[in-house]
Amino acid sequence: MTEKQKDMAVPGKSVRAEIRHFQMPDTLGGKLRVWRFLIARRFIQVSILVLFMGTLHYGWTLFNQLVLTGNMSSSRLFGVIPLSDPFAVLQVIASLQWPHMDALIGAAIVLAVYLLLGGRVFCAWACPVNMVADLANWLREKWGIRSMFIVPSKTRYWALLLTLILSFILGVAAFEWVSPIAIMHRELIYGIGLGFIAVLGIFIFDLLVMARGWCGHFCPLGAFWSVVGRTAQIRVAFDDASCTRCGDCVKECPEPSVLSFKEAAQHGMVRSGECTNCGKCIVVCPENSLSFNLRACIRSNSALRSEHGSTS
Amino acid sequence: MSATDRRQFLIRTAQMAGAAACAGVLWSPLVRSQAKASAHALRPPGALPEEDFMALCLKCGQCVKACPFETLKLATVADDAPIGTPYFIAREIPCEMCVDVPCVPVCPSGALDREFTDITKARMGLAVIDPEICLSMRGLRCEVCWRLCPVRDKAITLNIVHNEGTNRHVRFEPVINSEHCTGCGICEKACPTEESSIRVLRHKFVQGRLGEHYSPSSDGDFKLQDVRRGTDIAKELNPGDKKQAAPGAGYFNRRGGRDGIIPGSTP
Amino acid sequence: MTSLSRREFIKTSIAATTAATAGFTVSQAALAQANAAEAGWKWDKSVCRFCGVGCGEQVATFQGKIVAIKGDPDAPVNRGLNCIKGYFNGRILYGEDRLTQPLMRMKGGKFDKTGDFVPVSWDQALDEIAAQFKRIYKAKGPSAVAMLTSGQSLVSEGYITNKLIKAGFRSNNIDPNARLCMASAVVAFYQCFGVDEPANCYDDFELADTTVLWSNNMAEAHPILWSRVTDHRLTDKNSRIINVTTYRNLCSDIADLEILYKPNTELAIANYIAREMIERNAVNMDFVNKHCIFATGPVDIGFGMRPTDKFAFPAEKDTLAKQLNYTIDKYEAIAQRRPEMAGKSVEQKDAGRADAHWHITFDEYKRGVAPYTLDFVAELAKGDPAESLDAFKKKLQQLANYYIADKSKKIVSLWCMGANQHVRGVWFNEQIYALHLLLGKYGTPGNGAFSLTGQPSACGTAREIGTFSHRLPSDMLVANPAHREKTEKIWKLPAKTLNPRVGTALMIALRGLEDGSVNFVWTQTVNLWQSTPNTNHWLKAARKPENFVVVADSYPTLSGKVADVVLPAAMINEKWGMFGNAERRMQCWRQMVNAPGQARPDAWMMLEFSKRFTLKEVWGELPLPGLKVEGFPENKLPSVLEEAKKMGYNENMTLYEVLFATPDNKKFKWPDPIAKGMENSVVNLLGDGWFVEKALFEEYRPFTFGGHDLAPFDMYYDDKVRGLRWPIIDGKETKWRFSEGNDPYVKPGEGFNFHGKLLKAIPSGDLDGVKDTTPKPLPGKAKIFFRPYAGYPEKLDSNYDLQLCTGRILEHWHTGSMTRRVPELHRTAPTAMLDMNPADAEKRGLKHQDVAWVETRRGKIKMVVNTRGRNKVLPGTIWAAFFDEGVQVNQLTLDAADPLSLEPDYKKAAAKVYKA
Repeated sequence: MTEKQKDMAVPGKSVRAEIRHFQMPDTLGGKLRVWRFLIARRFIQVSILVLFMGTLHYGWTLFNQLVLTGNMSSSRLFGVIPLSDPFAVLQVIASLQWPHMDALIGAAIVLAVYLLLGGRVFCAWACPVNMVADLANWLREKWGIRSMFIVPSKTRYWALLLTLILSFILGVAAFEWVSPIAIMHRELIYGIGLGFIAVLGIFIFDLLVMARGWCGHFCPLGAFWSVVGRTAQIRVAFDDASCTRCGDCVKECPEPSVLSFKEAAQHGMVRSGECTNCGKCIVVCPENSLSFNLRACIRSNSALRSEHGSTS
Repeated sequence: MSATDRRQFLIRTAQMAGAAACAGVLWSPLVRSQAKASAHALRPPGALPEEDFMALCLKCGQCVKACPFETLKLATVADDAPIGTPYFIAREIPCEMCVDVPCVPVCPSGALDREFTDITKARMGLAVIDPEICLSMRGLRCEVCWRLCPVRDKAITLNIVHNEGTNRHVRFEPVINSEHCTGCGICEKACPTEESSIRVLRHKFVQGRLGEHYSPSSDGDFKLQDVRRGTDIAKELNPGDKKQAAPGAGYFNRRGGRDGIIPGSTP
Repeated sequence: MTSLSRREFIKTSIAATTAATAGFTVSQAALAQANAAEAGWKWDKSVCRFCGVGCGEQVATFQGKIVAIKGDPDAPVNRGLNCIKGYFNGRILYGEDRLTQPLMRMKGGKFDKTGDFVPVSWDQALDEIAAQFKRIYKAKGPSAVAMLTSGQSLVSEGYITNKLIKAGFRSNNIDPNARLCMASAVVAFYQCFGVDEPANCYDDFELADTTVLWSNNMAEAHPILWSRVTDHRLTDKNSRIINVTTYRNLCSDIADLEILYKPNTELAIANYIAREMIERNAVNMDFVNKHCIFATGPVDIGFGMRPTDKFAFPAEKDTLAKQLNYTIDKYEAIAQRRPEMAGKSVEQKDAGRADAHWHITFDEYKRGVAPYTLDFVAELAKGDPAESLDAFKKKLQQLANYYIADKSKKIVSLWCMGANQHVRGVWFNEQIYALHLLLGKYGTPGNGAFSLTGQPSACGTAREIGTFSHRLPSDMLVANPAHREKTEKIWKLPAKTLNPRVGTALMIALRGLEDGSVNFVWTQTVNLWQSTPNTNHWLKAARKPENFVVVADSYPTLSGKVADVVLPAAMINEKWGMFGNAERRMQCWRQMVNAPGQARPDAWMMLEFSKRFTLKEVWGELPLPGLKVEGFPENKLPSVLEEAKKMGYNENMTLYEVLFATPDNKKFKWPDPIAKGMENSVVNLLGDGWFVEKALFEEYRPFTFGGHDLAPFDMYYDDKVRGLRWPIIDGKETKWRFSEGNDPYVKPGEGFNFHGKLLKAIPSGDLDGVKDTTPKPLPGKAKIFFRPYAGYPEKLDSNYDLQLCTGRILEHWHTGSMTRRVPELHRTAPTAMLDMNPADAEKRGLKHQDVAWVETRRGKIKMVVNTRGRNKVLPGTIWAAFFDEGVQVNQLTLDAADPLSLEPDYKKAAAKVYKA
């Protein structure tokens, strides 16, 4: 048995000879169903930008207040609710400046939301660079381009650490000054400049040089959200019983390291903070072994299962 | 973990740290080059001193939206200001010195100081005059900068000097007083010379400083002494009238508002 | 061109010359560069296009374009300096939307008042205009057509238009926009001195010990003169400047004494000073007895408004009612010696004889000024509520002292629109003269009452040529038979050609469009539908189907929008021209460049137009309803064709041949060496080889002999000359008039001689009226008028609680049609803002730069509130300039006027302001 097969093996469960794989349905309805999370994600990513742009350029109001001013670094909803990028605020604090209450409250609110939803939900559901990275990845796979070299994915945690150290040394929020995510959303909303080349750079890098290059290896913001994501209350639940170890989920997942069958079987869910809740694994599983669920429910299910033993 | 494994782990960690350090070496100058002050980058009123401002500004752009005159913009890489931060170009749209300073309260991080409420205390920059080109300095009747200055006779005063050249006129020479100049740039915007003879620069590029060892004998004598959206009116009156039959026809024939009887005003 | 760009050339050359003038040194390299660059340039003298100061300019042209301009270092007025309007003189010709083709409203290939403007040829336009003119002229006679011209028209243009309409069409309906600025001054000159125009000159600024500004924002309206006044104050430490004003303006910064007073009360302040003179025995009795008489006129003369409210907007009817009956308050009652009438309504019975005046005794004059004690005037006139009455009294006393205390101190009073655009403007002009005449401080170096002119040639063209509805050239009047006779003689017209009845003053002509008495209007070099008061009326009137409006201008303006034909006009250096400035200095320039496209000089338009009329059509019998003048048939002008035949005219001759291309005029051939090879578009277009401007100037000159004497045409164009102040006798100009040694018309031993001839035989009476109707001749005398304090029709009330005053700012000229097309000037003041007192703004929930509605009984417009303006208005007052086409301030103002001069009062309209 290979390591993989060992990993996939379940005690008392024989490896089936015939394994089904994902089939894209023929009907439009079926296709849409497969794309449902993708559509939802794009809808939210675009809506966020649209709300910002509409408020800035067309003065959109609701309840007599501007809907959403600012950008994804810091914003104000209905003129009252502050929202801030907690990582940016963290960098500011690391540079030994104490920002105003509004920024802190905003960061706290956003942090609280993502602690519940899952930190890296930002990456799949909000971050505008995700659209660029996904496009590059799709093209890369389509054209069969392979990574030029391997870089450990843990590098991004070093980037995270480096960000905080540099912020301390340089006295400014080190990542915010170069962040391609900030460049992308800020300039889409406020006006595109030469710096948008950074976004193009990510696209080319992900397409030609390294698969999932930026998001998967270097982005310190993603690393930050991964740390936050440990306590996510919405997780991808795993039903070991129905899983045939076909491996389609692993193929689709942008962060395949989070899909450890052993761990998933053990805990009944994908526990890693690095999981972005993108839902690709869910739609692709031919056995419907994966689904979104609340952590609390998953725990109680798994407790139930272990009480009553495995069902096979 | 075996000894080999541990060594590998340490080596790997050291490698990562080294790589990080290299990255840091490349990253730092990038940050520094962006985050240094530019002579032309005039900040919104109430901005903290530049170092603190750079540290706190989240580049969210809420101040940009709050400004009723669209004075502010967020810098892009090619602009002459640190990337993403709000600044304004006085010659394009100056700060109009709103009494209620709407840009400050919306700043979430405090890069614009919430305690700042008196717009006349803003020190966004300091005006400087080119005494060779300034029309008033040449003896013409101009003084537009002085007339439009929101803190007139404090920030800009007129030094009236006999004109030796004609021997029967004076020169009304505008003089900037750094104690009151807010750096709003209304003067720079309005100056009628082709390139403005008065411009606002960040203080550190304009002001000198007496050495501490020197105590001026008469205090107050040592001041710095230096000698709403205008467009081509034809384009304003005739937007898109390229196809008109003859100059003026498009304007004369345009319907609405002023047609026949005039702008919004029947009693 | 050499390797440097054109801009570099301009910069260095202007730098070199202006710097040298201003006393700066310029590097030799820059100078050399400038000289090399200018090798192909042609410099010639010219005059600034804008205000009445009349700064000299030097204009450089190269390859058919004006490439540079600089203040003329040799011009005594400005010695090389300009204000920023003068600085951009070279740019005003080159706005992007310069009119280059005649435009006419057409539908289906024919003129149609409801059609859109379409480019047409000159012939098409002039033919249609002539046809419309003839239609109206034939049906209703010369009283139904009008030419409305300008204080910015050239001397030649004014002369041609004046002659054409008066001698050709026999209509006196020609009036300039100078009616809106200097008419009150003119009437006062006539009444006091019998002749128009100031006795003083700019030299007085350097000679006066005291300069008093009477509601005159000289700092912005006469920038270079203010520079001179300020320099005098600076260099002569004992000199003083006093700013008597209704709001704090930039003059206050330099003034030694600022007196803030309530509108109209300057009438009382002047009388207080006169009273003080009498009390302190300071009257120069020798001078007064030898050279002056006292006079007064009727008081209840209305406010120059229509006596009917048939055409009034509903909201303005209450104001209009004051024309017939006006309630006087207690101050007016006391001031007018009828305290029992306080609060009562007084019938304005003398509205029809406002300019009547009669001789009174000195005792009567004293009785007139008696009520104007310090206490009374201070209480009435104090303008600033925050100022204590005591402080204000002290200021009034100081003002009186400056006039009275020291006989040897020279004093000059200056005024302009604040005094003239006033319902009692003539009275106020006369009061200022009275102050100087009582002291004998007039018409000598450093001493005088100097009426400043606003426009560049209100003097030289409008007033001297007489392009007014009541005037003939050189201070003659259409109503005077002897004057008509003299004019007919010089113009070689049959007797009784000229219409003896005063025509329509400008406001009357516009009202005529509304009430149907005038149906044809041709305007030149004005933008009346933005610059006259109460424009909502005239905007509608122009569009009435029975009216035909022609606008000749250089840029698209609001007036063009309501016209039927728009004619593209040439601008200043695109034609030969002469301007006469505020100190009687006639200056000139040659044509330096051609007008763009089909734009042509107004002179040519008039001459071409005159070709379309034969004597038969205009010198026959003409209807003139209401004419009742001795020697003329009732209700019509007689035919003069018979007389014309006897004089050698053929009734089929065109007006062009009869009035302009006469044998005498054609003797002036073109080209002429004085032209120095420059072009002449008028001559070229006419194609018959006579030097139009010179011939007509020399035809005009004889009018001027005997008091207005102008020099020969060639003398003005001499390269060494920078204009000449008339009268010019034996080649010498005159700086001061009426005083011995200065004025060549004053004989030795006379001391003074007020040799003006008009209105010098008047009846006599007392303050209350004429008692002896026999006209008493007073040759050589000036009149010291008693005029009482009087109010104005639209006072503030709880509904309209802010007084709207209007004016100009330094950066822009009039309606901005030229200055706003220079981007640099436009950027200095992109919009006209409403100057408002900060307390008034706060009370109405407005803050600086809020947008507000400004509303009067006649209209409402949106304006941006300015609480940090250059003018610091007192609570209860708001102020706006009228240069901004987007801010039609004159839809708010009211057309109440001085009944003597028919000049509207732009300074007092009751308004309200609220958030938009």
